[in-house]
Formats: sequence, C-alpha cells, structure tokens
Amino acid sequence: MAAIEESGGGGGKEDGKVRAKKHSTRVDMTPMVDLAFLLITFFMLATTMSKPTSMTLAVPDKNDDKEQAQTEPLKASKVLTLFLGGDDEVYYLDGIASDDDDAKAKLGTTRYGYDLRTVIFNSQKRINAANPKDEKGNEAFVVVIKPTVASTYKNLVDVLDEMAITKSKRYALVDNLTDSEKEVLGDKIEAP
Amino acid sequence: MGKVRPKKHAPYTDMTAMTDVGFLLLTFFIMTATFKTNEAEINTPTSISQIKVPDDKIMVISIDNAGKVFFGVDAQPVRVAMLDNIAQTKGVTFTDLEKTKFALQTSFGFPLNQLKAWLNMSKDQMGAVKQPGIPVDSTGTSELADWVYAARKADPGLRIALKGDNLAKFPVFKDVLSNLQSQNINKFNLITGSEAAPAGYASEEATEE
Repeated sequence: MAAIEESGGGGGKEDGKVRAKKHSTRVDMTPMVDLAFLLITFFMLATTMSKPTSMTLAVPDKNDDKEQAQTEPLKASKVLTLFLGGDDEVYYLDGIASDDDDAKAKLGTTRYGYDLRTVIFNSQKRINAANPKDEKGNEAFVVVIKPTVASTYKNLVDVLDEMAITKSKRYALVDNLTDSEKEVLGDKIEAP
Repeated sequence: MGKVRPKKHAPYTDMTAMTDVGFLLLTFFIMTATFKTNEAEINTPTSISQIKVPDDKIMVISIDNAGKVFFGVDAQPVRVAMLDNIAQTKGVTFTDLEKTKFALQTSFGFPLNQLKAWLNMSKDQMGAVKQPGIPVDSTGTSELADWVYAARKADPGLRIALKGDNLAKFPVFKDVLSNLQSQNINKFNLITGSEAAPAGYASEEATEE
C-alpha cells in the first residue's frame, strides 16, 4: 500500500554529537483510511437507499350486490373510461357509452404520463363545467379504469397515480369488459 | 564532508481530513443501512405518493415479472405462528428445525406441498433454488388466501402490502386481489418507489384548509 512516511524527526546536524533520535509524533493513518473506505464501499453496495412509499387502494366489497342494485347507473356523459392496453397504451372513451354508434370512431389513444394527464384534465374540466355538483357536493366527473389482460401492474399504478395528480376523487376500478366494449376495442386488447 | 546537501524528505500528505470524511460517510451508511434481502428482484413502479411503507406489522405479497407470487411476514414469531396455523388447517406437520428455518425466510414462493422439501435443503441450496411461486387463481380460494388467513390469525393487526413488478401482468394482480377480497380485505397498500410530482401539483394538505 501507499505507506507514506517521514524519516524520523529533526534529522540532526552533523556536529558529531550523539543525540537521542526524536521520533515523529505523527501516526500513520493509511491503514485506517484503507479500512474506512473498504467499509464505506461495503455499506454503499449493501444498502438500498430509497425507502419505498406506498399508495393505498381501497376496493369495494365484493359480496354486497344487494346494495349495489340500489344505486343508479352512471350516465355515460359524466364518465371518462380508460382502457389500459398493452405496450403502455391507453384507450379512452370520453363521455360516450361504448354501445353508442360513434364509440368506435371516438375511441382515443394516448400514452401514460403527460398525454394521459392532459386527456384527464380536459375531460374533467368539460364534464364538471357541463354538470353541476351533486347534492353531496361531489363533482360530476367519474373515471372508470378498465385494465385489460394485456396491461401490466405498472400501468395500473400509473393510472392510479394519475388519479392522485389530477385530483379525480371518483374513480372505479373495473376489471371486466362488457361485450360492446370488447367490440369497440377489437383486437387492441389481446394478450401478447 | 562539509558539503550542504538538500535534505531528503519523503513527501507527506496529511490524511486527517480524508479520514474525517471517510468516517463521516461510514457512519452515515451504517446508520441508514437496511440490508437487501434475498427475495426475488422486484422493480416496483413509481408513484407520487408520500406515504411511507410501515416498518413493522406488515405482510407483503410480491408479484415478480414472471407473475409468480411470493409471500412474507416481517416478524419471526409471527412467521412461526403462521406456519403452525397453516399446518393445522392443512394437516401437515413441521419439525422444530423446519420451523426455525422458516422463521428466517423474509419471503417464500412455494406451494405448500413443496415447502417441506425446500426447508430441508441446506442454506445455500435454499437461496439458489428457483421458487415456483405460491399458487393463485381467480376463485379466491387458492393457497395464497390460506396463507393470508393463517398470517392474520397469527397476528390480526397485520397490514397488507402488495408489491408488484413493473412487468407483472394485470391478470395476476387481479387473482391476488380476488384472494384478498374473498376474505373481505378491501384496503391495502401498493408498494411503489417515489417519484417527484409533476410541476404545478399541490398536495392535498396544501390545498385543503
């Protein structure tokens, strides 16, 4: 190793006198530094730095279909439906029912991130402007998230994250597609 | 002779400062160290959520990129109690040695009928063997549900966290979900990495008075 030393203190004048050699008080710190950096390297490699965060997901109870029958069906004009497709693509129906004749023509395609956010914001603005808040003070805008078999877990988390970013409080995670939706989406949602 | 020669000095660097920095960093890394576990490599997606994953009293259901499901509980006594519970309901017995070995596993992905064989392997083999994952299906009554039930029986205060890989397919997640929902577990945490919120985003606390 790079041991760096100093030859013993003063050096002494050559005047013939024998003197006790003065030893340097310096301590050679090289091995200590070596050890310290070795340990640093070890701990740096052995640690996982960023502590994971978590998002809470609450899903409705599966077994209370009696109560569900009481609620009135959502109006398609207040709903933005997002279909999570394969290859990180999102298909969406903005305020139109999937059994509508125009649905196929109006089916939009977008990507995650900024593009999807813009879609949600636009739809949110339009629907909330056209419809008053309900009696409980909730905004009219509802997002229905429909992950397809082709989508990944990341896609789902991304969309849920988008809900948090756009502050869309009312969203529903629905994992089965209706027949008309299947028809509208066609072969876009087939598992790869 | 009387000649004046330039004194020869070995070059000397003062290493005190370097040592200081070195040990400062060392202290920092020792303090913040949480060790990587030997479980499957899972790359979680990121979210803007700021909620930290709780450190204790948590069970983690992991889904890796191939769609295999792993299960783990944090506390060792709970792991043993959980194994006892599942052994009781399924009519299997585990020896004390197997229990101690099981208690050391942060997570595992074996069907119950293969678990015993795995626990009887040597430590190196246990780490090297490829885990097939815990069976899940959409009926909601697969083995994962049994494990979750056993874990909750062992410690009713356990919180449930789902940790999925970026590439895990949605159907697997759906199956896991149906296993939880069949036991009336409707609220859980999705473990994600953290990412910065987009510009212009204000958190709920900031906007609501």
